[in-house]
Amino acid sequence: MATDVPVSDNPARDRHQLTTLILAIAILIGTFAAVFIAIAAATALNQYWFLHFPLGFVVLSQGVLFLVIALAFWFVRVQERIDQRRSETTELV
Amino acid sequence: MNGHPRLRTPNPHLGAYYGIVTSAIVSLAIMLAMLEQLGWSDAAIAEVMIVAPLGLYLVIAAGTYTQNVEDFFASGRRVPPVFNGLVLAATAIGGVGFFAYTGTIFFLGFDALAIGLGWTCGLLLAGVLFVPYLRKAGSYTVPSFLGHRYRSRYLRMAASVLQLPPTALLLAAELKVAAMVAALFLPLSFSGAVILVALVVAASVLIGGMRSLTWTGSAEFITGAVGLAAPLILISVLLTNLPVPQFTYGETLSPLHDAEITTGLTPIAPDASASPFPATAPLSVTKPFLEPFGALSEGEFALLFLSIALGTAALPSLLVRSGVTASVADQRRSVAWAVLIVALFAMTAPAIAAFAKVVMFQDIAKAPASALPAWVNELSSRSLLQAGDANGDGAIGASELHIARDSIALALPIAMRLPYVITALMAASGMAIALAAAGSHLFTLSASLAEDLYRAIDRRPTALPRLIAAWAAIGASALGACVFLLIADLDPLRAALTAFAFAGATFFAPLLLAIWWPRSTAQGAFAALGAGFITVVAATAMGAFDGGHAPMTTAIASLMGAGLGLVAGIAGSLIRSRTSEAEAAYCEDMRDPEGESIYDRAQQRAAAAAAAASATASGQ
Repeated sequence: MATDVPVSDNPARDRHQLTTLILAIAILIGTFAAVFIAIAAATALNQYWFLHFPLGFVVLSQGVLFLVIALAFWFVRVQERIDQRRSETTELV
Repeated sequence: MNGHPRLRTPNPHLGAYYGIVTSAIVSLAIMLAMLEQLGWSDAAIAEVMIVAPLGLYLVIAAGTYTQNVEDFFASGRRVPPVFNGLVLAATAIGGVGFFAYTGTIFFLGFDALAIGLGWTCGLLLAGVLFVPYLRKAGSYTVPSFLGHRYRSRYLRMAASVLQLPPTALLLAAELKVAAMVAALFLPLSFSGAVILVALVVAASVLIGGMRSLTWTGSAEFITGAVGLAAPLILISVLLTNLPVPQFTYGETLSPLHDAEITTGLTPIAPDASASPFPATAPLSVTKPFLEPFGALSEGEFALLFLSIALGTAALPSLLVRSGVTASVADQRRSVAWAVLIVALFAMTAPAIAAFAKVVMFQDIAKAPASALPAWVNELSSRSLLQAGDANGDGAIGASELHIARDSIALALPIAMRLPYVITALMAASGMAIALAAAGSHLFTLSASLAEDLYRAIDRRPTALPRLIAAWAAIGASALGACVFLLIADLDPLRAALTAFAFAGATFFAPLLLAIWWPRSTAQGAFAALGAGFITVVAATAMGAFDGGHAPMTTAIASLMGAGLGLVAGIAGSLIRSRTSEAEAAYCEDMRDPEGESIYDRAQQRAAAAAAAASATASGQ
């Protein structure tokens, strides 16, 4: 039995919105998962030392922050590429 | 459909101008250091170090005077991403971050890291979820965005009213911090300092709105960064031989641990009956610096982090800057710069606290009560510290050393016995950041009162021109904040935490639904705003009467409010069958990163229609 699959009137827009949503979810899950894992593991990690810092302390006070900075700039780069692809596709159409 | 975006070129000389500002601040500090060696009094050095930058900010504000509406409300939409990032970071950190957060780390150590993490992740959250879409919408305020998105004047007015508590609390907190510094270092009473600070902030916002706020804010950020970096690098070299305090203060943690044991500090467990946060009055330290989850449990740490992250992401004073850059991509880049700067500050604040604590605790651990170090008398004379041998054992223990939370950053150079100009530079730096943040909060409050409330109530375009309404709102808001500070005893840290809780609970869910769910309706947005706000008001009112644990109650209420707001927003939207075509088109347009902003296109169409009508009338 054949089913009717609705055809989008603007596939470039739909692809752009889907990839944007996936990127946003990935960035936010990555950030918040890193923070919560660091909080949960802090006491255990504090048994080890890194550059004169207890490891759990240095992960929460610096490690996670470096990750957030990297994610922020990576997000900007990837999102610009996604926007650029939509712009090029729209121009071709 | 979108039209081509207007070419908006930033001033090519901005780098040179702000190079001059940086040189001026550095030169002033060097000149005062030389004058100190030549015998200038401490009071004179502090007065010049604080008053001269205030004059510079006012000169910059005067140079950015404008009567153009787009310049006044959106800085002409041509601010380069880095400069917008500087002001965003200064607004997020503020004087509360500079003084109260560093002080909180001094008292709570590890447990206070939740606050800095919350600010940084909150900015990233805003950059991913809200900021690019608000830039495309182009509305001048958050309530006007909600009003345009849902085609609802009443929603816009309701959002404007609900924006008042968080913005007004933050404005009062920042003015209090700046006034506290002014009262400490200038020959002024606290009342006089409040009036001086409010006048400077009001003048710098009144002259050019968002435009003057952006350019004075950038200069204030530079003063703040130079004034924080120079003393801290110097102290880092003196204590650890390396000029990178963020990475080298680890060397002081072991001596700090020893000094804490010598002075009688032992690990503690979370106490549900007492506030985990230190108050403003001088207090003794009760928790070792490195002890994890001693004042806050792991769960409370995570809740506090989340509450601050949601509050930062939905803070109207940060989101109001979403329309000032030339494009959606630039706006996104500016948030990344702000994340970088706030994260750097969040890494630096523990270094300030650790350095201050190791110097103070090592000194009192070594000295007998009869021969205390000179910095104890110096700080005692300013009512920032109290030390006395209460138990008569001949030494000062940790429980006998009472320190004012917000004075830690200022106490560090004094305890290190550095030249007084360093303390004055630190004070000018913290005050500059507080002024930049206060300006942002004042503008957000006033722009919303003028644009979203006054213009929605009185719709006659000629009754009171737009800018005059904004000027009146700025004056009234500054006066209101001044009067409030003169009659109320406000704790800046508690006020800021409550403000972030209000912002997260009230605005996070409506903004999320407005941007990411095209099916959401005005009824849903009303329900989301109301549910979040009522939850946090109820919890704050209860927290005010239940004794010490109020800040944690507020944080939990903020998360509950955001969650309930989301549920209410979805339920409220599903009650009505469909969204209108205009709302659907607005959503579609907002998600397209190309082209002119929706608000600007509407303004251009309105201007063209008015011109055509005028031409027709003159032809007849």
